[in-house]
Amino acid sequence: MLEIKNLHVKLEDESREILKGLSLTVKPGEVHAIMGPNGSGKSTLSYVLSGREGYEVTEGSVTYNGKDVLAMEPNERAAAGLFLAFQYPIEIPGVQTMQFLKVALNAQRKARGEKELSIPEFMRFVKERAARLNITQDMLKRPVNVGFSGGEKKRAEILQMAVLEPSLCILDETDSGLDIDALKVVAEGVNALRSPDRAMIVITHYQRLLDHIVPDVVHVLSGGRIVKTGGKELALELEKNGYTDYAEKAA
Amino acid sequence: MSTALQPTAAEQALGVSLPSRRMEDWRWTDLRARINKPYPPQKVQAPARDVERLLAASPFAKIAKARVVFVNGALDEKHSRLSGLNIGPVDAKLKITDPVIALNSTLKAEGVRLKFSETQDQPVEIIHITTDAAPRALAVHNRIEVADGASAFVIETFLGEGDYVLNAVTEIAVGKGAHLDRLKLQDDSSASTHLAQSIYELEEASRLNDVLVLKGSALTRQNGTLAFNGQHAEAKISGAYLLKGKQHCDTALVINHNVPHCTSRELFKCVMDDDARGIFQGKVVVARDAQKTDGKQSSHALLLSERAEFDAKPELEIYADDVVCGHGATAGDLNHDHMFYLKSRGIPEAEAKALLIAAFVGEAFDMVANDELRAALAGLAESWVVNK
Repeated sequence: MLEIKNLHVKLEDESREILKGLSLTVKPGEVHAIMGPNGSGKSTLSYVLSGREGYEVTEGSVTYNGKDVLAMEPNERAAAGLFLAFQYPIEIPGVQTMQFLKVALNAQRKARGEKELSIPEFMRFVKERAARLNITQDMLKRPVNVGFSGGEKKRAEILQMAVLEPSLCILDETDSGLDIDALKVVAEGVNALRSPDRAMIVITHYQRLLDHIVPDVVHVLSGGRIVKTGGKELALELEKNGYTDYAEKAA
Repeated sequence: MSTALQPTAAEQALGVSLPSRRMEDWRWTDLRARINKPYPPQKVQAPARDVERLLAASPFAKIAKARVVFVNGALDEKHSRLSGLNIGPVDAKLKITDPVIALNSTLKAEGVRLKFSETQDQPVEIIHITTDAAPRALAVHNRIEVADGASAFVIETFLGEGDYVLNAVTEIAVGKGAHLDRLKLQDDSSASTHLAQSIYELEEASRLNDVLVLKGSALTRQNGTLAFNGQHAEAKISGAYLLKGKQHCDTALVINHNVPHCTSRELFKCVMDDDARGIFQGKVVVARDAQKTDGKQSSHALLLSERAEFDAKPELEIYADDVVCGHGATAGDLNHDHMFYLKSRGIPEAEAKALLIAAFVGEAFDMVANDELRAALAGLAESWVVNK
């Protein structure tokens, strides 16, 4: 499904490499956790996959269902099924959340040659999913993320995911800034989306999120490379021993 | 030490001398240099089908039931729907003077006095249609009066085709405890010049909510002069520019807080693409007795091209000592983070831009207290973006 080979990435205006030969294969239905210390390249990976400007790929390839992801615009990646839940969701004044969801969903459906949803169909579709995430009608009427609390923003990201139904979800530090109750709501929302056709990459610094979203595979990212891969028990080991072993290995 | 300049051919044809950049208020809009060919005043008969086509082009055509139609500067009763309206002759005399008003008088502007004695919930549209003919100058002068305690909603729409100089003076008088909503849409011909002046008189405890939407004409200069004559009155004047090509649009507002306890708010959201230039000049004058004045103005520009330009000139002239006055101005291009976020959700570049532009001017449209009119304006902005 997703095939990352020997990916080297640097910032456009700096010479320092952030990702130094990262390889990763994700198959449908799998949940991969990527753990690593600050500065290891976790967020860079998520931004490069989603197509944010400012990064330069100097070597390597990323293919998704056989297509060259790096040659695609961010919106084409989204239409192809990629979704990034942002660590810091962006506030967009003046664009109502409901309208944003409608434009996004219909743009993706159109790009895939599917029929756009009628307004009543769409409203029903969103309201049902919003209710499961404790997202009120009032939040849907407000501009995208504007005035949302940290927890509300993260729930809104998961709502977008539930509405857009991507085939690959990348969750970037979705647990940051959440208290345990909010974390549970978010994790339930994510778990509800687990399916044999859908893969997930959960990027996190801490193990606690993985108690709620249990991964199939855990990778340790350090110094811009995956330095160890294991089962879910690897996360527990990291929780106990920290990243020190791996930081040394990378240096 | 008069340094009178030799009249230009354009000035001779119009019969007035035009302001030039030597005058501080006109430094960005040098009419003398910009109106560079004769526009002789002329009354032109319009073919009915041109009138009907332009009338149908008003985005508010299906919203306003009552309407007053002016065609080429003259009242067209046949196309108007005057039933239920109180319409009379307008008094040509005006209390203030400036170059726009001087031209209006010289051109012997026609117009009506539209008076509201009771509350009228339905919007009334005054439509100014200018049809294609030889280059010419024309003028209108209308007066909107809301009697004490009454309220009304008036739309003023300007639509046209061809090359002309249109001069429009609108007097707005809001009586004690009265309320007026006005929406002005300037969508004159892309070859035209639009010169306007709004003169506002607000009595005690009155409220004015004015929204000015400017998207037509090659050259626009609109002046506004507002006087608070009674205490506890409130005025909101908002504006939106949608400019492209070489369009030039300059708004100059003067708010005179003559009495205490009045509130004024100005909010302008200006979008400029290509080589377009937008200007906002806002002056707030607080008289010595006008304590507890609350006056704020802000102008924000969204520049879609590196060549587009926006100039803001806020001025405060305060003679009272217990007031709250402020101003702010910003200018920038589309926010890259916003664009990326929208695109990352599958929204293509052009649609993402359109959403953000609509959101930007939407803040001004939100001031319009009528759902149908707001929706019509949103549609207008959308088609502007699409046809850009």
